[in-house]
Amino acid sequence: MHINRFWAAILLGIPLIYLVVFFITPLGMVVVDSFSNREGELTLENYALVLGDSYYWRVLGYTFWIALVTCVATLILGYPLAYYMSLIERRRAVRRLCFILILMPLFTSNIVRSFGWIVLLGREGLVNETLMWLGIVDRPLRLLSTEIAIIIGMIYVMLPFMVLAIASVLQNMNGALREAARDLGATAFSTFLKVTLPLSAPGIVAGTLIVFTLSISSYVTPRIMSGGRSVVSSMLIYDQFMLVFNPYLGSAIAVVLLVASFALIVAYTLLLERRPGRRASP
Amino acid sequence: MNRRRLNRARDAAGPLLISIIAWAVLVYLVLPLAVVIAISFTTTEYLAFPPVGFTLNWYQRFLADPSYVDAILLSGRLAFGSTLIGFLLGVPAALVLKRGRLPGAQMLGNLFLSPLILPAIIIGVGVLQISGTLGFARSFEAMLVGHVVIILPYIVRTTLASLEGFDTSLEEAAQDLGASGFSTFFLVTLPLIKPGIIAGCLFGLIMSWIDVEVSIFNTVIAQSPIPVKVFNYVQYSVDPMIAAVSAGTIYIALILVLLLDRLVGLDKVAGQQK
Repeated sequence: MHINRFWAAILLGIPLIYLVVFFITPLGMVVVDSFSNREGELTLENYALVLGDSYYWRVLGYTFWIALVTCVATLILGYPLAYYMSLIERRRAVRRLCFILILMPLFTSNIVRSFGWIVLLGREGLVNETLMWLGIVDRPLRLLSTEIAIIIGMIYVMLPFMVLAIASVLQNMNGALREAARDLGATAFSTFLKVTLPLSAPGIVAGTLIVFTLSISSYVTPRIMSGGRSVVSSMLIYDQFMLVFNPYLGSAIAVVLLVASFALIVAYTLLLERRPGRRASP
Repeated sequence: MNRRRLNRARDAAGPLLISIIAWAVLVYLVLPLAVVIAISFTTTEYLAFPPVGFTLNWYQRFLADPSYVDAILLSGRLAFGSTLIGFLLGVPAALVLKRGRLPGAQMLGNLFLSPLILPAIIIGVGVLQISGTLGFARSFEAMLVGHVVIILPYIVRTTLASLEGFDTSLEEAAQDLGASGFSTFFLVTLPLIKPGIIAGCLFGLIMSWIDVEVSIFNTVIAQSPIPVKVFNYVQYSVDPMIAAVSAGTIYIALILVLLLDRLVGLDKVAGQQK
């Protein structure tokens, strides 16, 4: 279909103007604010504060730590599920049920999902009751408002993204390769290790990138699961904007978070490209 | 002989182990949602799991509270409004990007997808700043423009993806037979890319419906979408009524998943999000 220049300019121009006004400009304003103070002067004082105070470094470090743990845990939990879904390709009803169960949490607000965990992790919640019934502990553990709670909540929120990223690659994988490996005498395990796993690398890369980027900017889950303490960078940003009313410092924290996460993502993709035989693109 | 049997046993053990792990993970995914639904029926005044008795009392109480009904209606207006705008902006943009033979189309495409990788909280902050400058800070309109930014990538991406595997000879045939560009689009192109557009719009609808991060910076307490309202509530106290409100949003999620399955097919959607 041929689109003439006039219509192309209008059909693409309006959406572009929208993005420039409501996406690019606001980002620019955040960056400008990060270099400003209340008097409207250009200054580096916000960055001096954020980069000079060990508190902000600790929070930033903790943000990345939580994201890393979430990434690894969702990969460990998500891969078997994604792999299982590729094994049951012919059982369509079961596959469909799996998709429904994975998409349901994804389509529910983070706040509702965290609420479920508040109930499960309470003193008399299902988790403590089960641990006591199994005899692992004899008194209920304090789980809410702990690091464990934050991590459990984060893994829960991010898991569907990881599963879907890996499943979409496994789903399109050529089954003949697996069969060939088996015919040539490889065991099921070595077929998995030497054929399936390397071929699913793009899914793993895509999944870890998604989970990592979403985790470092996650706000609702850590806020609820930490019991309101400000433990990750996104909470500091919120506090500065909405409680302390210092958008300049808030903007500087946001820019630092953004730059740090971009740097890590670039480093990660470069690292993957360098490795021979594992050239995976997200 | 023995060895072959051993091998066969080992081959069967692998898939069995994997399916056990897979179902354990699926239970983990469903458990918190099931718990919220279960406790919304409890007859106790406090959160009890397993629930005690059965009552619809909490649902009645939340539906009788106009502030919750208003919040749900507000969320609905936001979701449908932002999806409509996202559709009107995103589908034509994707079409031109794919077919316009523009220089730099790839880069522009990335621009349209970039809100996906940017922290939603920063988009929320940015919208607060621009709407303040333009004079509509903390309002329905501010939330609306922010939601359009976060859902536009979903619509652009699924539309681009459905144009990707598209047989252009069908369009050429239509035009050779004398159809105008306009009628070729509506009679040939649109029906073929419809599943992609529907999937993108449903995803957009959901992302707006569950959003907290963008809304929270651009709303006032008296006018909060439902997730923000639940968020503000849960930070201070939890009770069976808020469980009923939360359960209500889970039912809507279920309806949307089933709708997506019906209209597009979940297999196809799975590779599309984020």
